[in-house]
Amino acid sequence: MSEFINRNKKQLTWALYALGAVLLLLFLGDQLAGKKAARIAQTLISGLLVGGVYGLVALGIVVINKASGVFNFAHGWMMVVGGMIFWSFFTVSEISAPGAGLLATATMVMVMTTASVRGLVERRNLLIAAGGAVLLTALMTIGGSDWRWLHALTGTFAGAILTGLAVERFAIRPLIGQPLFTAVLMTLAVAEVLHGVTQIAWGTVELNLPIFFDPATGSRFRPIRLESLRDTLDGLAIIRVELVIAFVLALVAFVGFILFFRYTSVGLAMRATSEDQQLAQSMGLRVRVILAITWAVAAFLASIAGVLQGGAVGLSLNISFVALRVFPAVLLGGLESVAGALVGGIIIGIVEQFGTLLNSSEQVGTNLAPYVVLMLVLVIRPDGLFGEKRIERI
Amino acid sequence: MKKLFAILALLFVVSALPILAQDMLDYPSDLSECEVDLTGQTINLFHFGDLSGPYAFITQPIVAALTDVVSYWNGRGGVCGAELAQVYEDTGGNREAAQSAYDRFTSNYGDALDLLILYSSDDGELLREQLAEDEIVSIISAGSIESLYGEDGQTPGWLFANNPLYINQFGSFCQFVAASPEVFPDPVIGFVTWPGAFGMAGTEPAAAAFCASLGVEVLAEPQIFLPTDTDILTQVQNAIDAGANIIYTNSLATGPALIAGTLVDLGMEEEIKLAGVNWVMDTSVGILGQRVRKPNGLPAVDGMFGSMPFLWWTETSSPAVQFVTQQFAANERGPAEQNIAYLLSWGLADSVIETYIRTVNTVGSLDAVTGADLKATVESMELSILGGLFQQKFDEGMRDGTQNRIAVMKYANNTMSGPATGPDDALLIPDGSGGQLFVPIVVPLTDFMPVPQLRGQ
Repeated sequence: MSEFINRNKKQLTWALYALGAVLLLLFLGDQLAGKKAARIAQTLISGLLVGGVYGLVALGIVVINKASGVFNFAHGWMMVVGGMIFWSFFTVSEISAPGAGLLATATMVMVMTTASVRGLVERRNLLIAAGGAVLLTALMTIGGSDWRWLHALTGTFAGAILTGLAVERFAIRPLIGQPLFTAVLMTLAVAEVLHGVTQIAWGTVELNLPIFFDPATGSRFRPIRLESLRDTLDGLAIIRVELVIAFVLALVAFVGFILFFRYTSVGLAMRATSEDQQLAQSMGLRVRVILAITWAVAAFLASIAGVLQGGAVGLSLNISFVALRVFPAVLLGGLESVAGALVGGIIIGIVEQFGTLLNSSEQVGTNLAPYVVLMLVLVIRPDGLFGEKRIERI
Repeated sequence: MKKLFAILALLFVVSALPILAQDMLDYPSDLSECEVDLTGQTINLFHFGDLSGPYAFITQPIVAALTDVVSYWNGRGGVCGAELAQVYEDTGGNREAAQSAYDRFTSNYGDALDLLILYSSDDGELLREQLAEDEIVSIISAGSIESLYGEDGQTPGWLFANNPLYINQFGSFCQFVAASPEVFPDPVIGFVTWPGAFGMAGTEPAAAAFCASLGVEVLAEPQIFLPTDTDILTQVQNAIDAGANIIYTNSLATGPALIAGTLVDLGMEEEIKLAGVNWVMDTSVGILGQRVRKPNGLPAVDGMFGSMPFLWWTETSSPAVQFVTQQFAANERGPAEQNIAYLLSWGLADSVIETYIRTVNTVGSLDAVTGADLKATVESMELSILGGLFQQKFDEGMRDGTQNRIAVMKYANNTMSGPATGPDDALLIPDGSGGQLFVPIVVPLTDFMPVPQLRGQ
């Protein structure tokens, strides 16, 4: 018997997993049997769309991890900072030119000194920095409130680049060559610093960010009502437009990053850096610059997610906690996988919604189901659904 | 947004012009005479809680109000000559941070810490036993059964709440529902609420049994959502599928606004009524609730019911409201701070000051005051806070307020004489970024009435 077990260990393990999966499906099927088709469809739609937002947040975490191996616990606070900067430009009719100029100048100085502080001494670089600062300032201040989208997008872009580069320069770069765990702990410290800065700059009271606003109704976009499917589904299902926008933006970002990592020299350099920083440096790659770009990109992604989340439910310090809810999605998809971030986000979103559908009173959807799914997947695929399988040779 | 706040501030100033046109009003409370001169000493208002998490909308104005209280009294020679000061910390709504703050306060201030102001039921539950052990009286705006009366609901502790227990507020809402069959035919209440001691208060079986005795059914399963949730369609639909035609919530700021918006999304804003605990009747909900508008053009939270166990800003005939309004303007506070907590914190400070005066009069000096002395004073006092903002009476083992009334959230009409019936007659003000804002008001529907006592059943 023991010999049989030993010989067929792998097959038996998979058989057990399959049995567990069948039992789980039978259980869920029984639980869902009493639900209207409209509720199941609605739950699926909500899960998919919320999962898209989760995926976008997860992507930022994955990008950092993919390039540097660091798990960024400050990502949630980067979301808050990005969202708040957007709000500052979007809701103010007259932008302060000195303030915008300061932001633009600081951003350009950080950009031009990414490789070395001496970079700014060169006349050509100085001219580029000055020109960039003037251009950014103009884009942030041109026109009146009719141009607020341009102001807000430019301001958020500059703010995100500045945040990402500053975090990399002053917190992460000094730790190059140190154990990765040190950098991970540093991101916890960065999170607290960003928390404090946000609290001082914008306060703690929730802010209204009316980006999903329909001037015709004076209201948030009306949801799409699936009236034509009412009879088929035995009820009404709706689709919230702002979540669709967030989902589409997330898809665009994913496709862009998959192409970026696969086909651009910077993307390839990021992947190489993530494999081995010292080896990459010895091959002539500018690790510092690559890491800086990575942090800037991640901060920009975080800002987009912060703006979308803030527009959907309001901007507050609480949106930083969304990143915590996304951690299972990151692990589920695979820490280094861009596609995995999206798939993980969607799975967690759907699992959360179905958990809530079946049992909201015990918070099964948010507190239990995502972690059970994560646990099951990690047991079968320890590197996540799309994670790179690493073989450590001893 | 700052411009918006400035505009709103201007609006409130205009609406309160008769009050502001008066000379500075006298303090509305009839405080006890000081029999002991406390010149050169300090009375600290100790408090800590969530100033940066989900409760920030409510708690930030606490700090603003207590700052203004301190400034007011110190500008007039202090309390019996003693300087008033506040010592506070932000715990971010984190339980461990609350415990840590408590440990720090007790170790840093030792015997000088006899009275502590708390914000949240969770903190109250966490610290209940420790407060009793350390003999520190604590005052909170509203608390859960466990925080005020222990697990059995029958053991009064050292924590006193000025507002009725949330479960009792829910009970009085059931009374209102039962007495209003034309508004609530065949009422079935479903909770869609936040987790935690505050969020779950009122979901106890005793509340459901009481409401059932009045002919109001309460669904057994509460639907829970988090302040970080992007979409709560599932929770709201769960409640509706289970038969709810009234949704009740213990949440604040974005919470009620999110539920109201979801009901509009579903096209059920007329069929399903929305109601909640006293914190839903707040300016923050009135502003945040404007993201989604009903088909009639009014914001989604228009018509939401809630408890209002104290006076509100629009009840300007009250000396308490007049006084606080004048102080609010004099300190150039913004509308984000013109909420329930600012009003109540002036009342809370009034209660603390009277407690200190009476206790010092009894024991002879500030140094001699102990937590037990303060507790004895609180238990023996019967106060009309700030001359009528709310009543305080904690005799016979009571630890919470006993009076409540039900109100409805509406939006002001363009003459500021009552609620608007639609966007055409509503008072709309520019929001500073090209849009317009409605001005929220709270309209009481009942007189003050005793709340049912549902704890410990």
